[in-house]
Amino acid sequence: MASSFSPGGPSRPRPGYYPPSIANPSPNPSPASSLPGTMQNLQIGRPSAPSGPPPFLSGISASASGGSRPGPPPQSLPTRPQFQQPPAMSNGPPSIGVSGPRFPTQATLREPTPTIPTQGSRAVPGSSSAGSPANDLVPPSIYNSSFSAPAAGVPMAPPSLVSSPPQLHSLMGGQPSHPLAGGSPSQPLAGGPPSQPLMGGPPSLPYMGQPQMVQYSGMRQPLPPSGAAPPFGSPPVWQQQQPRPGVAPVSSMVQAPPQMFGAPPSPFTQPRPLTPPVMGNSPLAWSHSSTPSTIDPNQIPRPMVDSSVIVFNTRQGNQVNSPPPATSDFIVKDTGNCSPRLMRCTMNQIPCSGDLLSTSSMPLALLVQPMAIPNPDEEPIQVVDFGEIGPIRCSRCKGYINPFMKFVDQGKRFICNLCGYSNETPRDYYMNLGPDGRRRDAEERPELCRGTVEFVATKEYMVRDPMPAVFFFLVDVSMNSIRTGATAAACGAISQAIADLPEGPRTLVGIATFDSAIHFYNLKRALQQPLMLVVPDIQDVYTPLHTDLIVPVAECRQHLEQLLESIPSMFETNKVADSAFGAAIKAAFLALKPTGGKLLVFQSVLPSIGTGSLSSREAEGRTTNVSSGEKEAHKLLQPADMTLKTMAIEFAEHQQVCVDVFITTQAFVDMASISVVPRTTGGQVYYYYPFSALSDTAKLYNDLRWNISRPQGFEAVMRVRCSQGIQVQEYSGNFCKRIPTDIDLPGIDCDKSIMVSFKHDDKFQEGSECAFQCALLYTTIYGQRRIRVSNLSLPCTTMLGTLFRSADLDSLLTCFLRQAATAIPTSPLSQVREQIMNLCVNILHSYRKFCATVSTPGQLILPESVKLLPLYTLALSKSTGLRNDGRLDERSYWANHVASLSVSLAVPWVYPRMISIHDLTSKENNDPILSSILPLSSANLNDDGIYLLENGEDCLFYVGNMVNSEILQQIFGVTSVDGLPTQFVLQQYENTFSKILNDVVNEIRRQRCSFLRMRLCRKGDPSGMLFLSNMVEDKSPGGLSYMEFLVHVHRQIQTKME
Amino acid sequence: MTEFVDLETQDGVRMTWNVFPGTKQEAMNCVIPAAAIYTPLKPIPNVPVLPYAALRCRICRSILNPFSIVDYAAKIWICPFCFQRNHFPQHYASISEDNLPAELFAQYTTIEYESVHDAGPVVPPVFLFVVDTCMLEEELGYLKSALAQAIELLPEKSLVGLITFGNYVQVHELGFGQMPKSYIFKGLKEVTKDQILDQMNFFSGKPKPAVGVIAGARDGLSAASIARFLLPASECFMFYMYGFPSRYLSDVLEELQRDPWPVPADQRASRCTSTALSAAASLLGVCVPGSGARIMAFVGGPSTEGPGMIVSKNLSEPIRSHKDLDKGSAPLYSKAAKFFEGLSKQLVHQGHVLDLFACALDQVGVAELKVAVERSGGIVVLAESFGHSVFKDSLKRIFQANDYDLGLSFNGVFEVNCSKEVKVQGIIGPCASLDKKGPLCSETVVGQGNTSAWKMCGLDKKTSLCIVFDIARKDGPDAVGQSTNSQFYFQFLTYYQHNDGHMRLRATTLSRRWAAGSGSIQAFAGFDQETAAAVMARLVSFKMETEADFDPIRWLDRSLIGLCSKFGEYQKDSPSSFSLSPRFSIFPQFMFNLRRSQFVQVFNNSPDETAYYRMILNRESVSNSVVMIQPSLISYSFHSAPEPVLLDVAAIAADRILLLDAYFTVVVFHGTSIAQWRIAGYHNQAGHETFAQLLEAPRDDAEGIIKERFPVPRLVICDQYGSQARFLLAKLNPSVTYNSDAHLRPGGDVLFTDDVSFEVFLNHLQRLAVQ
Repeated sequence: MASSFSPGGPSRPRPGYYPPSIANPSPNPSPASSLPGTMQNLQIGRPSAPSGPPPFLSGISASASGGSRPGPPPQSLPTRPQFQQPPAMSNGPPSIGVSGPRFPTQATLREPTPTIPTQGSRAVPGSSSAGSPANDLVPPSIYNSSFSAPAAGVPMAPPSLVSSPPQLHSLMGGQPSHPLAGGSPSQPLAGGPPSQPLMGGPPSLPYMGQPQMVQYSGMRQPLPPSGAAPPFGSPPVWQQQQPRPGVAPVSSMVQAPPQMFGAPPSPFTQPRPLTPPVMGNSPLAWSHSSTPSTIDPNQIPRPMVDSSVIVFNTRQGNQVNSPPPATSDFIVKDTGNCSPRLMRCTMNQIPCSGDLLSTSSMPLALLVQPMAIPNPDEEPIQVVDFGEIGPIRCSRCKGYINPFMKFVDQGKRFICNLCGYSNETPRDYYMNLGPDGRRRDAEERPELCRGTVEFVATKEYMVRDPMPAVFFFLVDVSMNSIRTGATAAACGAISQAIADLPEGPRTLVGIATFDSAIHFYNLKRALQQPLMLVVPDIQDVYTPLHTDLIVPVAECRQHLEQLLESIPSMFETNKVADSAFGAAIKAAFLALKPTGGKLLVFQSVLPSIGTGSLSSREAEGRTTNVSSGEKEAHKLLQPADMTLKTMAIEFAEHQQVCVDVFITTQAFVDMASISVVPRTTGGQVYYYYPFSALSDTAKLYNDLRWNISRPQGFEAVMRVRCSQGIQVQEYSGNFCKRIPTDIDLPGIDCDKSIMVSFKHDDKFQEGSECAFQCALLYTTIYGQRRIRVSNLSLPCTTMLGTLFRSADLDSLLTCFLRQAATAIPTSPLSQVREQIMNLCVNILHSYRKFCATVSTPGQLILPESVKLLPLYTLALSKSTGLRNDGRLDERSYWANHVASLSVSLAVPWVYPRMISIHDLTSKENNDPILSSILPLSSANLNDDGIYLLENGEDCLFYVGNMVNSEILQQIFGVTSVDGLPTQFVLQQYENTFSKILNDVVNEIRRQRCSFLRMRLCRKGDPSGMLFLSNMVEDKSPGGLSYMEFLVHVHRQIQTKME
Repeated sequence: MTEFVDLETQDGVRMTWNVFPGTKQEAMNCVIPAAAIYTPLKPIPNVPVLPYAALRCRICRSILNPFSIVDYAAKIWICPFCFQRNHFPQHYASISEDNLPAELFAQYTTIEYESVHDAGPVVPPVFLFVVDTCMLEEELGYLKSALAQAIELLPEKSLVGLITFGNYVQVHELGFGQMPKSYIFKGLKEVTKDQILDQMNFFSGKPKPAVGVIAGARDGLSAASIARFLLPASECFMFYMYGFPSRYLSDVLEELQRDPWPVPADQRASRCTSTALSAAASLLGVCVPGSGARIMAFVGGPSTEGPGMIVSKNLSEPIRSHKDLDKGSAPLYSKAAKFFEGLSKQLVHQGHVLDLFACALDQVGVAELKVAVERSGGIVVLAESFGHSVFKDSLKRIFQANDYDLGLSFNGVFEVNCSKEVKVQGIIGPCASLDKKGPLCSETVVGQGNTSAWKMCGLDKKTSLCIVFDIARKDGPDAVGQSTNSQFYFQFLTYYQHNDGHMRLRATTLSRRWAAGSGSIQAFAGFDQETAAAVMARLVSFKMETEADFDPIRWLDRSLIGLCSKFGEYQKDSPSSFSLSPRFSIFPQFMFNLRRSQFVQVFNNSPDETAYYRMILNRESVSNSVVMIQPSLISYSFHSAPEPVLLDVAAIAADRILLLDAYFTVVVFHGTSIAQWRIAGYHNQAGHETFAQLLEAPRDDAEGIIKERFPVPRLVICDQYGSQARFLLAKLNPSVTYNSDAHLRPGGDVLFTDDVSFEVFLNHLQRLAVQ
C-alpha cells in the first residue's frame, strides 16, 4: 500500500507516446457520473439558444417548459475508455481492465472468483502489514543509478520501489497479476457471501419510503402499494423525477470491470526516463544530482481520474471496505455501514490507542454530511416507524438500534455497540436468534441491516409541532445595490426561484427590502396589492406585523411576482447609500420568530448603519502603521464585534432561523463579520465579487434555486456517538452549539458537511470494532419529524502500517483544509502555512520513521494512500485563503466556504481541475474530456490553447494569445483575442465545438452542484494572472514549485530523522 | 338680563360683574369673582375688517380704540391704559374730527385688521388623521365610511395625512405612487422629531445638518419630502398604481384592516394611542411647523401601550375610576397625564391642534388626553360608537360649509390689556399660556395664568375663554395715585389665521365702571347671574381637578350662602324674611343644579366623561354653559302652546310631551297617554292632525337644537316608564320621591332618589344666609 516515491525516481523506459494532456488521470476526481441528480436543476439557467439575454431571463420559459432541464440519464453506462483503453494501460500487460478481478466489488457476487477478488478488494489493508514488511518499504537505494532497474521495464515490483501492489502497478506499468499475487493472502477473505442481497435485486423489506428529499422533488405520491406502513412513502419514481445523467444503470454495473479504490491505475505506466533530483539528505547528493529542471514533472504523484462507475459495498462479510475516492463516481450498497457520502473517516481502521494515533500524526476525524445526495441507483434510505414507542435505543447511552448491536440471550437482551451496556429487548421487539447468532428478522429490518435508516420521530422528539418550510427573502435596495443591478438580479432570481417551490400550504414565503430602513411587504391575498411597511428604527427593530408578512406561497404568488418586478423600479431613484444589514436580519428574524425558517439575504454593500453596523476595516488596516498592520492582519478576519454573533446565536438557539447570505458586491463588505451569521445558523455565504449584473445574474439565480430546492431539513439537532475508548473532541462546521454533545442546525442541507474530531480516552481491544453513530433529528420540508441515523463501524488496529494503509486522503485533506480555515483568523498567514506543512511533514516522517526503516535515508517515501499529500499541502498553502496577496474578504470567504465544504468538493477546491478545450472536437467523445485533466502547471499552457479550470465554484477560461480565431469564433463568438469581453457569459452557438463545450460545462455543474462563476482570463492581462495563480505546481513569488516542495519536505523529514 | 345679552352680541363678552366692585376687599366680599367670558371669534354683524395694520401704543402695545383720547390738532392720541401720548404716523395725517378711522368709531369697539402686506403666502390647512385600528370590524367599517365622507368634504387646498395605529404606529406615505407604503413605529416609546427626520428619509441621501432645528420647507426640507406624507386633498383621489387610476387615500382607507396582532381572550387590544399622537405631532413639527394643522385622532378604546397607557392589557385590571384617582390608586394616570402635558407643549410650540374623537363603550383615556386637547384648542367628541350619530354628524359638521359651520381657525394668539387696577389671574378655557409675564399678571393664578398672552392653536366661532380678574384697586389711604376715573378699560386682542388662510387681528376694547363706595349697590346692578353660574361651573371644575381634597359641594354652598348673605334682603335670623332681588333670584337654582350636575357629581360618570363634559364646558358660551348646568325643559300639550316648565318631576304628565335640552343629550319624552296614542297610530289617521302636529313639534325643535350644536347632542326619544326615560328623570328636581309625602298626581312620576329637592335646598339656604 505504501508507495514509495523517489524524487530521484526510477527512470523507466517510457514510450511516451501518449499525450501529456491525458497523462494524469486523477485517482480522486473521477467525477464523470457521480453528480447528484438534483443538480440538474442548476442547469435551468442555460438557454439552449446560443445567443440571447443573460440566462436567468430565459429561465422562466425554460423552467416552465422544463426544456432546459437535462434529460433523463443515459440508459447505459458510457464506455469506459479509461479502463479499456487508457493510454497508460495499452502498454502494459495485456488488459488491466479485463483482468477485472483485481477490482472486485459487487461483481464478485455474480462471478465469484472469491479469493483473488476479495483479496484484491482488500488489497489496501491486506497487501502489506502482516505479510511482507519489506513490501512496505522502499528499496534501499534510489539513487540515480537505481533507476536503471525499473528502466528495464520489467513488469515486476522491484523491491526498491514499491510495497503496495497497486502502487507497484501504477508505477511499473501495470502488472496486475503480480501485485495481486504479491498481496498477502494472510488476511481472511472477505468472501462476499452470495447470500447477500444482490445489487439491483428488490429489497427484502417492502419499500418503506425514501428519505424526504425525494419527496421534495415535488411529487407527493401515494404510497407504493407495497409500502407496508409509514405515511411517508415516497414515490418509487426517483429516477424519473431526478434523472441523473451519466449514471449507469445497475445492470451495466455488473459487467463493468470493478475498480479498486485505493490505487487506481496510474497513467505512468510508461514513464519516460527521467533524472529526478535526489532527495538526499546531504547537500552534496543534491548538488551532484541533476538539476531540478531536468526532472520530468510527470513523474511525480498527481491526481488521476477514473470516470468509471464503481459499486461499493460498505461491508462485506464481516469486513469493512475502504471507500472509493470522494470525487469518484460510485454506487454504494449499504450493507451495514453507511455510505461514505454520509460519513467518512480520516482512517478506515481505528488505532487501538491514543499513542498509536499520535505516533501517526494523523488526525482522527469523521466528516459527516448527513443529508448528502445519494446516487440515484442506490437503494433509498429506508424509513422505520416504531409507532408510539419510538426508535429502540440503548437505555444508557441513548444510542439508536443499529446492525452492530449484538442480540444475546436468545434475543432477550442486546448489547450496545457504543457503550457496551446490556439492554433488555422490548417485548414488542423481541425475536429469536438464528443459528448464526443473529436475529432471524435481521435482514428484514432495515435498522438491523443497514448503515443508515430514518426513524419516524414521536412526540418525545418535538418541543412543538414540526415547523413549516418558510423562506424569507431580504433584499438590499440601497443606492449601490440598485445601480450595480444587484437588486434587479436578486429580485429576478427570487421571482423565478419561487416558481419551483412546492405549492403546499406548508410552504410559506415572505419578502422584505432594506436600505437605511427595512421595508416589509404585506402579501395577504385579500389586499388588492402588496402593502409596504417600513420599519425605520434600525437601532431597536421590530416586525411590523404579526401575520401576513409570511404567507403560503400558493396564496401570494401573483402578488409576489408583481412586487419583485416592481422593486427595482420602485427604488430606482433611491439615494440612500446606507445599508442596515444587521437590523434587517434582526427584523426579518422577528418576523420569522413564530415559525423559524430560512432567511435568504441579498446584500450588496458594507452594512454601515443600525444594529450590527460595520466599518471599512480593510481601509483602516491599510492606513495604519504598515508593520503593525501586517502583524495584526489576521485579526481583520475575526468578526468586528459580537453583535452579529449574539444575534445569530439567538436566531439559531431559540427560533430555528437559518440565514444564507448572497453577497453581490463590488467592494469590501467585511465578510468576516457578516459570515458569522450564516455560520452560526447553519447557512452559507455566496460571494459574487466583483459583481457583474451581466455575468453573475445566472449564477445568482441558480444558486438561489438550488439553495431552496435542494434536499434539506429544518430545526435539526445532531449528535455523533462513538464506542467507548474514544470520545468526541470537537465539532466543526456551520452550526450553533448550546451543549457540548449536540449541535443545533436551524437548517441542514445536502451540501453541508460537519467535521467531528475524536480523541482517545481508553484503548480498544485488537480485533474489536469502533463504531460511530450520527443521529440527526430534523423536520422535513413536508413537516415530518425524522431521525436519520448513520452508522459506521470500523476495525481497530495496533499496527501503524495498517493505519497508514487505511488512511483516507480526501478526508485528511478536508481535515487540513478546515484546520487552516480555523487558523487564519487567529494566526498570521505564514504561521498557518507552516502549520499545514508541518502536519504533512509529521505524517510522512512518522511513516518514514516507523514503517520504512529499512530504506536508505536519501529517499522520500510516501505511503501509497497519501502519496498526494505533499501536492495537496502545497496547493493548500497557495490557495486564496493562505496566499499573502488575497483580499481580506476573499480570504474570509475562502475560510467560510471551507467550513462546511464536503469532502468531494474539498478536493477540487484545493487542487482545481484543468482541462484543455481548444482541442475538444478532436477528442473522441465527451466522456473522457473531464478525465484528461492537466497538472496545474503553466508548463501545460500553450499560447494557442484555451483551458478551462474549475474548482467547484469558479470556472476560469484561459485564452492564450495565439488562439486560432476560428475556435474563438466558435466558442466565444469573437474573432480575435482582443475582442473577448471582460464580463463573460458562456453561450451556446450553433456549432459542435460550442455544443461540446457547453456539455462539458454542464457536466461539471452537475458534478459540483454549482452553476460556476464563469470568467475569461487572457494571457498578459490581470485576469490571466488570476488564472496563473491557480497553477500551484509552479514556482511563485510566495511559494515553491511542486518539485522544490518535495525536496523541501524531504529535507524536513531528514532533519527530523536526525 | 337682556342687556347683558345685547352686550354679548356687540362684543362677544359677558362679565359676572358689569360694574366692578370698587376695591379688592369689596371684590372679596362679593364672593363671585370678577370674570369675563369672551368669545373671540363670535360672528358679529357689521364688524369692519381694516386692510391695514393696527396702530399700537408705544409703551403698552395696546391698540388705538374708541376710548383713546385724540388730539386732532397735534395728531396725538392718548392710550387709555397707560396714558402714553402717541403720535399718529404719517398715514393718519388726514385724521380729523370729521374724518375718523374706523377704529375710533364709538360703535366699533370690536374691529378686525387684516394686513395683507406683512402676511406670508397663504398656507393651506393640514389635516392629519390618526386612526385607531383596534376595534371590531363593524366599528372600523363605520369609521372608514365616516372618514371617507369627511375626506370628500375637505377643502381642496388643504393637505391630508394619515397615521393608523394599533399595536404599532403606521405613518402612511401617501405620496408614494407605487403601492401603499407606511412607516411602522413601535408603540412602546414616543416618536421624536429627530427620529422622524432621521428615519423617514427626509434628507434623502444628503447628510443631515449637524446643528440647528430643522423643520419645514423653510429650514431646508425639500417640498417633495414633505409632500410624501401630506398630500393635497384634491390629489388624494387620482393616483396611478400599476397603471390604473386609483383613488389613493380612499383606497388606503378602504383597505384599512383591523390591527392584526392577536389579542388573547383575557386581554385588551394593544393600543399605542400616545405613541401615535406623538408621531403625528412630530411629523407635523417636521413638515409644517407654525402653520395651521389639526391632528384628528379617532380612538376606539383604551390606550394600553406606550407612555400614555391608561390601563394594562390585562382585562382583570379595571380602567381607573374617579375613586381610584381620588385615592391615588391609578398609578398610570399621572405618568400618562405627564406625557400628554409634554405633548401639549410640543403642539402649542408648533401651533398645531389635537382633536379627539373617542368612540368606545370603554374609556379611552380622554381624562389623560384632556390637557393636550384643551391647551391646543382642539375639538373633542365622545360617543359610544363610530356608528352613532353623535360622532358621524359631528365629524360632518367640522368640514361642512354652511350656516352652522364651526369656522375653524388656526394659530390664534390672545392678549389682554387692562387698566392698571385690574390684573388677570388667568384663563380657564382652551388655550395655553405663552409665559408672557408683566405687570398685568396677578399673583393669584387660576387656570392658564401668570401671563398676558395665550396661544390658541385652534379656535372657532364659539370658543369662549373665561378670563378671571383680580381687582387691585384699594380704598382709603392706599388709594393714592389711583385714577379717580370711575371708568376703566379692557382690550382683548386675538390674532388668528382666518379660514381663508390670512392672518387677522380682532380687537375688542371695553369700558366698565367701578362701583363707587363700599356699599356695592352699584355692583349689585351689574351682576349677570348666567355668567356667574358659568364662571362658577368652570371654577369648581378647575378646582376639583387641581386642588387636592377640594370639597366642591361645600365650596359652592359657602359661596352661595355668602352671596345671599351679602345681597339678600332679610332680617337676621329670620329665614322667612329672606328675599332676593331679581338680579340674583335664579342664581340659587343654578347652583342647586350645578351641585347635581355632571361637573360636580362626578361619581356617576367615568373620568373620561367628566373630562369630556368639562372640556366642552370650558369652551362654550354662557348660554350653552347654562344649559349644561341647568337643562331647559319645554312642555308640549293640547292645552297650551309649547311653554318652558320647571325642571321638576312635577312637569311630567300623561298627556304631555316634554323636550329636555341637557346640552349633551336632547330628550323627547312622551307621557303615557301620548305614547299609547302614538303606538296606536292615531297620528297617521285622518282627524288627528293636531296630534300629529303635537308629536312633530318637539322633534322639530330638537332638530333645531341639534343642528346648531357642536358636538352634536345625543337625541333620545322615549316614553314615560321606558328605560330611556332615565335621561330625563336624572335631570329633574326630585320634588316627588318615593318617600315624599306629596301625593302623586295621576300621570305624574316618582323619582327613586334620596337627593334633596330644590325646595329643601332653598330652605336650608335661607336659614344659613340669614345667620
